[in-house]
Amino acid sequence: MTSLFHYDDDREANSAAKVRALEALLIKKGVLGNDSVDAVLNHFETVAGPFNGARIVARAWMDPEYKRRLLEDTPKAIKELNFPVGMDGAEGEHMKAVANSESVHHLVICTLCSCYPWPVLGLPPYWYKDPVFRSRGVREPRAVLSEFGVSVSTDKEVKVWDSSAQIRWFVIPERPANTEHLNEEQLAALVTPEAMMGVALVSANS
Amino acid sequence: MKLQHYLGGLENLGPVNLDKRVFFADWEKRIFGIHTVMMAESAHLNKALPQYPINSLPTSFKETWTWASLRTGAEDMHPFEYFKFRYYERWLMGISQFFIDRGYVAAEELDKLTQHYRANPTEPLPNKPNPQLKEQVVRYLEHGDSSLRALAKPARFKEGDTVYVADPEAADHSRLPGFLRNKKGVVKEVYPAAFEYFVSTGPDGLEGPQHVYCIAFDAADIWGKEKSEPNTVIYADLFDAYIKPAH
Repeated sequence: MTSLFHYDDDREANSAAKVRALEALLIKKGVLGNDSVDAVLNHFETVAGPFNGARIVARAWMDPEYKRRLLEDTPKAIKELNFPVGMDGAEGEHMKAVANSESVHHLVICTLCSCYPWPVLGLPPYWYKDPVFRSRGVREPRAVLSEFGVSVSTDKEVKVWDSSAQIRWFVIPERPANTEHLNEEQLAALVTPEAMMGVALVSANS
Repeated sequence: MKLQHYLGGLENLGPVNLDKRVFFADWEKRIFGIHTVMMAESAHLNKALPQYPINSLPTSFKETWTWASLRTGAEDMHPFEYFKFRYYERWLMGISQFFIDRGYVAAEELDKLTQHYRANPTEPLPNKPNPQLKEQVVRYLEHGDSSLRALAKPARFKEGDTVYVADPEAADHSRLPGFLRNKKGVVKEVYPAAFEYFVSTGPDGLEGPQHVYCIAFDAADIWGKEKSEPNTVIYADLFDAYIKPAH
């Protein structure tokens, strides 16, 4: 796409200076404190992030009963795991999980913007926000998945979830083979944000 | 008609971008943070389900700023510009313009200070902490702004009903993905209670609390057999205004 448009050479330096100028003026005028933006960023480093989703997935892999409860009532099942306050906070007020299986592969998308379950996955990666993924993912999900390195045959059903109202979706990927010896923490370390949106599989060596 | 409402299904765009970074450049974190603080101190939160001390917050910000504000701005862009600029570049353009339009910041002072930071990129921000606002930011992130509302009126549709997506008049802002207009689907789930979107979208149809349905669409019913992949179902959560009965 980049070659279609002309960009100024100082594109990034200008944006960096502009956002700093904007933040400085807003601080001066009392709209923000100089500790406000840092408070937001800190939340996404310590409280909300894909590390939560990975723990949820690992627990679902370890405990089929937990997985059943998670699919039935996602917020309630998340509450069982003693996360810090905030798992039903901003952009996680109404979350739902779906689970990949031998017969179904799920893909989460937001064709209108970038709706994403913040508390359990943090902030969306670039590919999720890019208009090309949002355009193509709903019409040719398998073609898009193959570009991500995931092959899904037409024998397997693909379910695409377009998040245009209030529900924020995430995927419980399939547990990889040869992970019986791993504990919950080790399993969680294998789970990526991409796997929890359906554009990656989890592998035992990732 | 806005391209931004019709992204789903657009052809000839080439390969997807596989970049896994949340932020391309460090500066993008700051505009994300500014937007989120604006949501946390938005005037509309005085009616939120969690009790927020919005009216007593020590801030000069007296506006309503929600996702609807940011989205409406993005949907108002020239469609080529929408493709040209990255996600957070669009945010920086939209949010700066909002503060200029609302009189918080003058365009000239923003330009002047931008030039200053171009020349002095390491110069620190003014040292003016706001502990009460910081607390509110954390509270907002922890407790959110649920749009769940009671609605006495029963839902018009039930699980298993065949329905059609409405084709409402075009508006500045919509939560109806364009590719679903006039398409046939089946109600998979009727969500409990109702949801109220941040704003009215006028002739588009969002206004007050509405039931929300999860509707399942066979991909071939949307794109046609030739242009779709087999064995594929698309689910969309749609507000009641966007649904009409099959007959």
